[in-house]
Amino acid sequence: MNFDQARFSRDDVYEPLLSEKDSTTVEVDSEGVLPDDLTRDELTLPGLSEPQLARHYTRLSQMNYSVELGPYPLGSCTMKYNPSFTEDVAADPNAAVHPDRSDRTIQGTLGLLHGLQEHLADIGGMDAVTLQPPAGAAGEFTGILVAKAYHESRNDDRSEIIIPSSAHGTNFASAAMAGYDVVELPSDDDGRVDMEALDAAISEETAALMLTNPNTLGLFERDIIEIAEMVHGAGGLLYYDGANLNALLGRARPGDMGFDIMHYNVHKTFATPHGGGGPGAGPVGVVEDLTEFLPSPMVRETASGYEQYEPESSIGKVHGFTGNWLVLVKAYAYIARLGDSGLADSSAKAVLNANYLASQVDLEVPYGPFHHEFAATAGDRDAADVAKRMLDYGVHPPTTKWPELVSQAMLTEPTEVEDKASLDDLAHAFNAAYADADEVLESAPSKTSARRIDQVSAARDPRLSWQALEQDE
Amino acid sequence: MFEIPDDRKYLESHEWTTTESDTARIGISDFAQDELGDVVFVELPEEGDELSAGDEFGVIESIKAVSDLYAPISGTVTAVNEDLFDAPELVNDDPYGDGWMFEIEPSDADEFDSLLSPEEYREQTE
Amino acid sequence: MTAGNGRRAGSPYAPHTDADEAAMLDAIGVESVESLFDIPEEVRFDGEFGIDGMDEKALRQSLSDLFARNEDLTEFLGRGHHAHYVPALVSDLSRRSEFLTSYTQYQPEVTQGFLQVLFEYQSMLVELTGLPVANCSMYDAATALAEAALLANRLRRGASGHRVLVPAHIQDGRLGVLENYLGGSDMEIGSYPMDDGAADVDALTDLVDDETVMVYAESPTVRGVIEERLADIGDLAHENDALFCLGSDLVALALLEEPASVGADVVVGEAGALGLGTAYGMGLGIFATREEYLRQVPGRLVGASEDAAEKRAFTLTLQTREQHIRKERATSNICTNQAWVALRTAMHMAWLGPDRLVDLATDAVTDARELAGRLDDLSGVKAPIYDRYHFREFVVRTDQPAPAITNDLAGRGFAVHALDDHHIQVCITDVNADAADELVAAFEEVV
Repeated sequence: MNFDQARFSRDDVYEPLLSEKDSTTVEVDSEGVLPDDLTRDELTLPGLSEPQLARHYTRLSQMNYSVELGPYPLGSCTMKYNPSFTEDVAADPNAAVHPDRSDRTIQGTLGLLHGLQEHLADIGGMDAVTLQPPAGAAGEFTGILVAKAYHESRNDDRSEIIIPSSAHGTNFASAAMAGYDVVELPSDDDGRVDMEALDAAISEETAALMLTNPNTLGLFERDIIEIAEMVHGAGGLLYYDGANLNALLGRARPGDMGFDIMHYNVHKTFATPHGGGGPGAGPVGVVEDLTEFLPSPMVRETASGYEQYEPESSIGKVHGFTGNWLVLVKAYAYIARLGDSGLADSSAKAVLNANYLASQVDLEVPYGPFHHEFAATAGDRDAADVAKRMLDYGVHPPTTKWPELVSQAMLTEPTEVEDKASLDDLAHAFNAAYADADEVLESAPSKTSARRIDQVSAARDPRLSWQALEQDE
Repeated sequence: MFEIPDDRKYLESHEWTTTESDTARIGISDFAQDELGDVVFVELPEEGDELSAGDEFGVIESIKAVSDLYAPISGTVTAVNEDLFDAPELVNDDPYGDGWMFEIEPSDADEFDSLLSPEEYREQTE
Repeated sequence: MTAGNGRRAGSPYAPHTDADEAAMLDAIGVESVESLFDIPEEVRFDGEFGIDGMDEKALRQSLSDLFARNEDLTEFLGRGHHAHYVPALVSDLSRRSEFLTSYTQYQPEVTQGFLQVLFEYQSMLVELTGLPVANCSMYDAATALAEAALLANRLRRGASGHRVLVPAHIQDGRLGVLENYLGGSDMEIGSYPMDDGAADVDALTDLVDDETVMVYAESPTVRGVIEERLADIGDLAHENDALFCLGSDLVALALLEEPASVGADVVVGEAGALGLGTAYGMGLGIFATREEYLRQVPGRLVGASEDAAEKRAFTLTLQTREQHIRKERATSNICTNQAWVALRTAMHMAWLGPDRLVDLATDAVTDARELAGRLDDLSGVKAPIYDRYHFREFVVRTDQPAPAITNDLAGRGFAVHALDDHHIQVCITDVNADAADELVAAFEEVV
């Protein structure tokens, strides 16, 4: 496949900034409105016409790669196709209501939230789900706060959260934000939890163990029942990071494995668009004993309709209102569209695709059997350079140099939406880039809108606004 | 093979110090700068700060990594290499020379004895 | 579900034909997809969720019917969450799949478009706040406020001080989120009283001490009052070596005093007032601060650099602050943020331009004043209750019980918020201004 990304450019810039197209200063005349000393003197912003703006943003969109342009196999990111109809559903004007509306007047909104709470609980094997956390990391933080509230309710003061070294960085940061010390757990030689190290790490200080399953190498933690018994035996809780839930849909449920708390990344598993870095949503599910601690409000169904309520020992709020509503609507629509058979088929095809792709790439995959993603190693090549070169073959590269357990890792998750021909293109990109000469790799990419970008000078001399650029001139 | 000058002492965490009893100069090793890659930012102590051996005295950042810096010896900071604020790349280009970080008036010259010798440090990095 | 082209029932978004699946299994060297799952028998799930998949048309009808159960009320609601008219340009262009279906810009060479939009968004915030560093989003105003408090705490680095002071009038969600974010540290929250709806600066003077790490004030407040003594509050904070954090929103910032000029060290607040609509409380958190705190900023930052063709190009930068590198010592746990909302907000701001943005903000003062005056003319109604300048919204006192009035108004097609037994809050923007006459008429009937 040949690929040349659109490239608008003018002199020494690509598409000029809005501020370079126009800069208009308006004097703020507040006479009769507010006293002079309460208002600003002037405001300078671009003042462009609608046609000019339409062209500006359309050009910029063409200098942006996306799932609808080609494969996007970022490991642990689950970049699957985002069904168009879910956008239309979320744009329904009847769904656009203010969060201060009374329950009685927004039965449709509450009905959808209730339905999503129920579906997610069923899918995860949990007893109750809050939809409030606005992203996966916010879900982790919420889940850890629930664990903390649970322990505190039992007058059981615990100070540590155990996290495998291969976990997502957010796990560590979320645990620390909740005030816990992090105990890092090394991996076993087979890439899974090191049971001896876990045994040594667990103590009466253990508030929770956070696990991703399948883990970030795509491997199922086979000892999960024993792990759960060990953690529970010490009075701790088991937390499930839902980033890799797409591998298990309809085949296994965290609740059945002994997990007490989990978050769902609906922008991964349930196909809501990533939007260039969000918004996502990170609902949190818990088992029966923990439901009283969930954030407020929750939605329940009564004889007279849906109503919001505050759980008995709620941790309170983790978002100003009820979370990322538009994202939740799209997730509900996706789940309702697929149903049981579609959800189970997603995990089947996601795992089939990862295994097929791995069988077609020349790079070694040191750990297996893997499920929806695999960590190939670029060996003596620089994984970041191989990735840059892959861009020239018209695909987005995998996540690189992570997890660190695999040297020069290329963590690859094709998801279920690629067909065989597309996976063959992806394999070709992998293999061709891997085989290209060093100098080709180092000068890649060349077919993208911009050439290799200097990260070092961006960080040494941070210029974070057009004002900073103007000052430089 | 990384450069490890014979006229200094080292910490396992890759800081070096000269061994003058009146004013010792401190920086990070060639090995450390190579591991970090292109240095983009260095945070240093201020003149007059009192440090104890093992204290965190600053932070060094590259694009992909960030490390705390530890004081090899105790004492009072007498000078700081302000060139690093505008040109952190000096740590990469010349870790034992222009990339030095700060100078300290040692409060206990005996502390030098407990640091790694160049040979011991070389063994650690190999 | 249809099964054309040799496709079987299953996910409509998994495009495999039987022949492809067979060839793929063959290449892998296994008999079946099931054999690829390395899941122990005892944890396999063989039950059903009981979710029947629906075809797209039927599902859209069903969801349309569901949303139709929301009553069609004209909302005069605000309290920290505002909606302005969103032009079609925003809804149309933001849905371009190149923007909507892309990921975080880990490969900047193929994602220049989104990076530039975020860079432009940051720049607009720099203009509006007067502060040189703005990140490319927080989840909402509440989490942005909480992150500001955590930043203030980090700057202290173990020195004395652990209290954050917030106004007595603060939206519940903001206070609740702040409490949860500070729960992991030794910080505590103090509240300072209001005087006629604005900060009681004398009382605040008595409360601020060297235990204070941050003073938070809002303008407009959650009750719509424009704070007139921001510079005094800033001075109080600084005299006590505390940060001054100002909460506002993008539209208000276009008219009110520039935060930098009143001494704000951090500006937080809601940016979703432009570009997003009500969205049942979904938001976009502003976070802007001084240069000296750059390395303590939470979240993503887009910076300018140069590419190998020596052209200016954009990239995520200073990522060593973030969780994927610094793990438990990161400035925040935030990863996925509100990038696409920031794109919509930037588009909306650009569409307005400086003239219409200032006009929109000016209308927020004059429309609120006029509506309050008309309600005040009704017997049994006092509006606004505070003798202050207001932005978009104000509090009304009613002789009759407020909950009954809001109920009656709902019956007449209007949503307003009852604060307590005799107080109602009313918010007017360009979305509902056309219905102001009818609201006044309805009020007259029910009070």
